[in-house]
Amino acid sequence: MVIHPVLLIAIPLITAFIIPIFKKYGAAIAGGAIAFNMGYAIGIFFHVYSNGKIYETIAGFNPPIGIFLAIDSLSALLALIINLFAFINFVAIGKEANYKFSMLYLLAIAGSTGIVITGDIFNMFVFFEITAVASYALIAGKKDKKALEGAIKYMVLGSIASSFILIGIALIYSQLKTLNIYDIAARIASMDAKIKWASFAMLLTGIGVEAEIFPLNGWVPSAYQGASEGVASLLSFAPSKAAIYAIARLMLVIFPFHATYEIALWVGVITLLIGELAAFMQEDVKRMLAYSSIGQMGMILIAFSLASQDLKYALIASLFLIVSHAASKSSLFLLSKSEKMHGMASKYAGIVSVLSLIGMPPLAGFWGKWYLMLAAMDEKLWLVIILIFFAGIVETAYFARYLHRSIGNDGELSLRYKATMAAMASFAILFGLLPLVYKIASLPLWGG
Amino acid sequence: MNFAALTLPCYITVAALLSIGLYGVISKSNLMKIFISLSIMETGVNLLLITIGHIPGGTAPIENANFAKYVDPLPQALVLTAIVIGLSVTALAIAVLISYYQKNGTLEYKEGMKW
Repeated sequence: MVIHPVLLIAIPLITAFIIPIFKKYGAAIAGGAIAFNMGYAIGIFFHVYSNGKIYETIAGFNPPIGIFLAIDSLSALLALIINLFAFINFVAIGKEANYKFSMLYLLAIAGSTGIVITGDIFNMFVFFEITAVASYALIAGKKDKKALEGAIKYMVLGSIASSFILIGIALIYSQLKTLNIYDIAARIASMDAKIKWASFAMLLTGIGVEAEIFPLNGWVPSAYQGASEGVASLLSFAPSKAAIYAIARLMLVIFPFHATYEIALWVGVITLLIGELAAFMQEDVKRMLAYSSIGQMGMILIAFSLASQDLKYALIASLFLIVSHAASKSSLFLLSKSEKMHGMASKYAGIVSVLSLIGMPPLAGFWGKWYLMLAAMDEKLWLVIILIFFAGIVETAYFARYLHRSIGNDGELSLRYKATMAAMASFAILFGLLPLVYKIASLPLWGG
Repeated sequence: MNFAALTLPCYITVAALLSIGLYGVISKSNLMKIFISLSIMETGVNLLLITIGHIPGGTAPIENANFAKYVDPLPQALVLTAIVIGLSVTALAIAVLISYYQKNGTLEYKEGMKW
C-alpha cells in the first residue's frame, strides 16, 4: 500500500472549503472528513510502527529545496492522538456544530496535524497560524463577554508569538539559507553563536505561547473559561500538544545542546509549579482545569528536555504524559458542561481521568510520572524529583476537592455525550496497559 | 545608487518598527490601538525578511537577459505568505472587536479583564 501522509492535511483543508457550499449538511460532511482522517492516521501509525519512519516530498522537488513531510514514530503517535480525539470530540459536540463551526474545527485539526508531520520550519509556521486563527474564531464563536475576552487575549499574545517565530526563522535563514529542519540540524554548528541563540530564544518564546509555557500563558485560563466545552476540549488535545511537540523537535533535532536542555528543564519545572499552585487556588472548574493543563504541559516539557540527555526513560515518560493528558483533560472539559457528574458513564469518565492525571497505577499518567522519575534519577536531579512530588501532592489535593464537589446526579447530559466522554477516558487505561508506547519510544527518530 | 549602503538603514528601521509595535502593545489600553501596534510589528518582521534576502546590486528575481544578479526570491515568497496571514488575523481581530464593542460599549479593557 502506498501511504500519502499529505492527505492528513489535504482532506480536512479541502473539506473545510467545500462545506460553505453545502451549508445544511456541513456538520455531516465534516464528520465524514474527520472520520477518514482518523482512519488514515491509524493506518499511518501502524505502518510506521511496523516499517519505521517515512517521508513524502511535495510537488516533486526533493529536499532541501522542496517541502517535505517527515513522519517518525513520535509524530505518527501525535497525529493519531490529535485525529482520534478530534473525531470522538466531534461526536460529543454533535448538533451544536453548525457549518461554520465544522469549518473552523477542520482547519484547527488540519493545522495541528500539519505542525506535527511537517519537515519544513516555515511550513510549521504557516500551520501554527492556521491552527491559531481557527482557534481564535472557535473561542470567540460563543459570543458572550467571557468568550470574547479569552479570544482577544489569545489573539494579542498569538500575534506577538507569530512575529517572534518568523524572526527566529528569518535569523536561521540569514545564516544557513535553508528552511528544511533536518538540513538546519545538520549545519547548525556552522552558525554564528549569537545569531543561533537569538533564533532559539525567538522560536522558544513564539512556540511557547501556543504550548502554554510560563510566563507566556496569560491567555490560557480566560480562553478555556470562555470557550464552549467542545472547544476547550479541542484546545487541550490539538494545538497545545502539537506545539509542545514542536518545542521537542526544536530541542532534540535543531538545537541539541546542553544549554537548551537546561533552559527547557527549568522553564518546565517553573511552569509545573506555577500551574499546579494556581489550579489549587481556583474556584471556577474550567479555570482550574486550564491551570492544571499548564502544569501538565510543564511536566511534558521536563520529560522532553530530559529526553535530549537520556532517551531511555524520558521519551517513554513524555509519550505517556501526552496520551494521559490528552485523554483525561478532554474528557474532564467535556464533563464541565454540567455541574455534577450525571449518570454512571460520566462518573466513570471523571474518576478515571482524575486518577490518570494524579498518577494512579496502572493508568497512562502513572507510567508517565514513573518513567519521568527514573529519568530524573538517572540524571541525579534530586531537586527536580522533589518538586515533581510536591506538584503531585498539590494536584491530588485539588482533584480530590473537585471529585468531592462534583459527585452527584444533578444536571442532564445526553447518552451520546456521556458515551464519548467514557470512550475518551478509556484511552488513559488502554494506553497504560498496552505495550505500544515502549515500542514507539524504541523506534528510530528523524534526526535523532 | 549604492544599494549596499541601504542594508544598515533597513535593519535600523526593522528595530524601530518592532520596538514601536511592542511598546504600543504594552502601553495602550485601547484594543484597536493594540491591534494596530501588532500590524506595525508584523511590518517590521516582513522588512527584516526582505532585507535578509537582499543582495547588493541585485534586481527583482525575474529572469532577464540584461541582468546577471538577482536578490534571493525565497524571502519574498515568505513575506507574501506572512502578509496574507497578517491580513487574515487583522480581519478576524476587527470582527471580534466589533462584537466586543457591541457587548461592552467600549474598546478599552474592562477592569475585570485580568491579564
